[in-house]
Amino acid sequence: MRPLRALRWVAWTAFAAGILVAVVAVLTALPAYAQDAAQEPAYRAFPVIGSRLAVWAVAQLHLNFAAFILGVPIFAVIIEIIGWRTRDARYDWLSHELVKLTFAAFSTTALLGALLLFLFVGYYPKFWTYMTSIFFPTYWIYALLFFAETFTVYLWYYGWDWLSGSKKWIHVGLGVLSNLLGTSILVVANSWVTFMMSPAGITESGALKGSVWGAINNFTWMPINIHRLIANIVFGGTIAAAYAAFRFLNATTDEERARYDWMGYVGNFVALSAFIVLPFAGYWLGREIYAFNQTMGITMMGGFMSWLWIIQAILIGILFLGSNYYLWLGMERIPGSERYRKYVPYMLTILAIGFMVWATPHSLIVTLDEARAMGGTHHPFLGFFGVMSAKNTAVNLMILTTFLSYVLYRRANRLSIKPWVLTGMAIQWGAFFVAAAIVVFYGVYGYFVESIVRIGFSVYQVGAVLGAIALVMTIDVPMFRGARSTGAIRWGRIPARSQYVLILLAVTFTWLMGLMGFARSGIRQYWHVYGVMRDTSVDAVTPALGYAANVITIVTAVFFALVMFIFWLGGLSERGKAGAHGLPAPAISGGSEDDR
Amino acid sequence: MHVPVGLKVGAFSLLVMGSYTYFANSIPQIESRPPEELSLEGGTVTPAQLVKAGEQIFKTKGTCEVCHKIGEKGMRAPDLAGVGGRAAKRKPGVSAKQYLIESLLDPGAYLVEGYPNIMPRVDKPPIGLNRSELWAIAAFLESLGGTVDVTLDDIPKTAGAAAAGGAPAELKLPGDPKAGEAVFAGKGACIACHKAGKVGAAQVGPDLSQIAKIQTPEYIMGKILNPAALGTVAGYPKGVMPPMFGQTLTAKEYVDLVAFLLTLK
Repeated sequence: MRPLRALRWVAWTAFAAGILVAVVAVLTALPAYAQDAAQEPAYRAFPVIGSRLAVWAVAQLHLNFAAFILGVPIFAVIIEIIGWRTRDARYDWLSHELVKLTFAAFSTTALLGALLLFLFVGYYPKFWTYMTSIFFPTYWIYALLFFAETFTVYLWYYGWDWLSGSKKWIHVGLGVLSNLLGTSILVVANSWVTFMMSPAGITESGALKGSVWGAINNFTWMPINIHRLIANIVFGGTIAAAYAAFRFLNATTDEERARYDWMGYVGNFVALSAFIVLPFAGYWLGREIYAFNQTMGITMMGGFMSWLWIIQAILIGILFLGSNYYLWLGMERIPGSERYRKYVPYMLTILAIGFMVWATPHSLIVTLDEARAMGGTHHPFLGFFGVMSAKNTAVNLMILTTFLSYVLYRRANRLSIKPWVLTGMAIQWGAFFVAAAIVVFYGVYGYFVESIVRIGFSVYQVGAVLGAIALVMTIDVPMFRGARSTGAIRWGRIPARSQYVLILLAVTFTWLMGLMGFARSGIRQYWHVYGVMRDTSVDAVTPALGYAANVITIVTAVFFALVMFIFWLGGLSERGKAGAHGLPAPAISGGSEDDR
Repeated sequence: MHVPVGLKVGAFSLLVMGSYTYFANSIPQIESRPPEELSLEGGTVTPAQLVKAGEQIFKTKGTCEVCHKIGEKGMRAPDLAGVGGRAAKRKPGVSAKQYLIESLLDPGAYLVEGYPNIMPRVDKPPIGLNRSELWAIAAFLESLGGTVDVTLDDIPKTAGAAAAGGAPAELKLPGDPKAGEAVFAGKGACIACHKAGKVGAAQVGPDLSQIAKIQTPEYIMGKILNPAALGTVAGYPKGVMPPMFGQTLTAKEYVDLVAFLLTLK
């Protein structure tokens, strides 16, 4: 180990250990602190900006960083395994590059987590005492998991060269272990957040009824675990892709451009793959919210938050359009892709119509003038497109279309030589059309049945889409194995605007995360713990969307500024070197003169 | 002029976020404020004032309007136009006000055909209407095609007990429940009128076997010291409970007794 690296290792370890000691010290002090809670004020005021805004900003920043450091390693280890099994050095380099990014953000995440804890203890002492009375045993689990996670990730990162060759399996094992530990941390923290939203396992007065498991396993815990896990992968993918885009735009050589073009593509591919299933996890979460409390569900979808879903629809529409546009731009660097260009206008039409339908309001709070102008609370014509039947249909068709874009991209420079190619293609197209027909059928049928029946239709629609995706890929993989190539992908030969699309996706998804955080927290309204512990502070008002958007934008801008700074710091020691960990960066096809 | 990539990317990102922020600020701005508590106990109020207050609660704190429409068939819940007239015919032998109050406090007791059992109890958190608010909303519902004759006494005394939702149980009295049980059965002579779980069997006063579940600690403490101030439970004679426990019990006996009553769930 070189002296600089050894020094950094010691510094980072000391820093993480310091944070951990501080957290454990606070946790240990809490029971004694709780005994004195009767003399404590329920709230203290944070200077100038107020306690709520301070907690909001730090929590959002912490979650952004946490999502990044939990999401990226999931696909980093998969990429490492691919590189290990295929002996392709490009993947090993990329995996290391990705872990390097998360590694640099690791201590910032811990620091923000500790800061958030201090804010709760100091400014919301009564609330925190109550949470401690329910969840104290989980604090220890969290601290131990954090400890284990820190050392595993350190070993994974610093052991990259040491655990190579015949010891690579140990290194991959460390990567898998760090992911398991990271996910466990997420799951523990989710139990606190979801309890606040859908408390369970407690008496009417709020005391723990049996074991802490009853409080952990509340209505929204598992749906949020799944939703956040998937969303973290999307988020990690978009941030990694944005990083690559930034490096691409700054690149001075063709090799560098090719390398970061490829990295951006992989990041976007990972994000898109996870993004396709994210709406399904979201629907499950929504369903569980309704199952927990109808009032909460209705307030969320049709009450004062109804406009929020229009903004969400616009953001998701931009993500769908942006992802597809990036794939279509990427096809321009693939010889042989010309034959698929004719499909692009049709796909764009479906996406645009789907976008418009999804963004059509239904149960909105409108002004009297607006209601008069529309002739009621719903628009006489557009109101039909604002209901869930239309929206479910639109989003499922958008997912199918995005998947089609990916399939076309995947085979753009390949011609199958299998004798059964025509049959395979026919089955694939059939799967697309049958899935689309099922989606449309249940979408239309949904207008003629009661709401309770209609809710069940979304399961058939989702099932049809997922089934089609599984069937198409099952055929596609063997059909294009050993396919004839129409030319190598010319990595690096992609218009610069494609890189701005990657940045657009990262910014939009980060902003969307902030918005969804506001939604999740805001539907509790004036409750710290819904229906159990009321917010009696001066901040009990749930702010309007404009205020929330201002906060989200400022925090997102701060997040990106911090990320840029941390990445810059992380890259200082490797400045001037093409290699990531002692080895030269691999050449990517299209990046040198020979490939032209 | 060469513009650094970092600057271009930063400006682009701010432009994207600025567009989202602009849009979010250009739509109707609706805050969600904590509801205000309505208290009508002890005051005089006309039926018209009561109906007006009830309508306000219907649209705000009660969140009734989210599902129930008036003059329009709801997807989740029945149309309430004319419910004041219909209510008396819903269940044989049950008056309009009794039916409406039951619908508010035990919504699953009678389901209108075609609608699922999804309505929450409105006197429990998170809606948490108090007795005055229940009275007002029942009056408003009666006014929709019927006659307003509901009184505060028609609303069960136990209704809305946990309405405030407030802080979770954090009141830890230094009292000894075991000693309190002895006060209940001995010096306090509460056993002469009340039953408390396995202790006593008298039915002169309300059964206290689940008093801690249906009443707040504040209510229990106040009721012992000044029973008349907190009213009489419907169905029981007024003025029977002695008002002198504040003088006859020592401070320790008092907190022991309260600690015992708080164990009755």
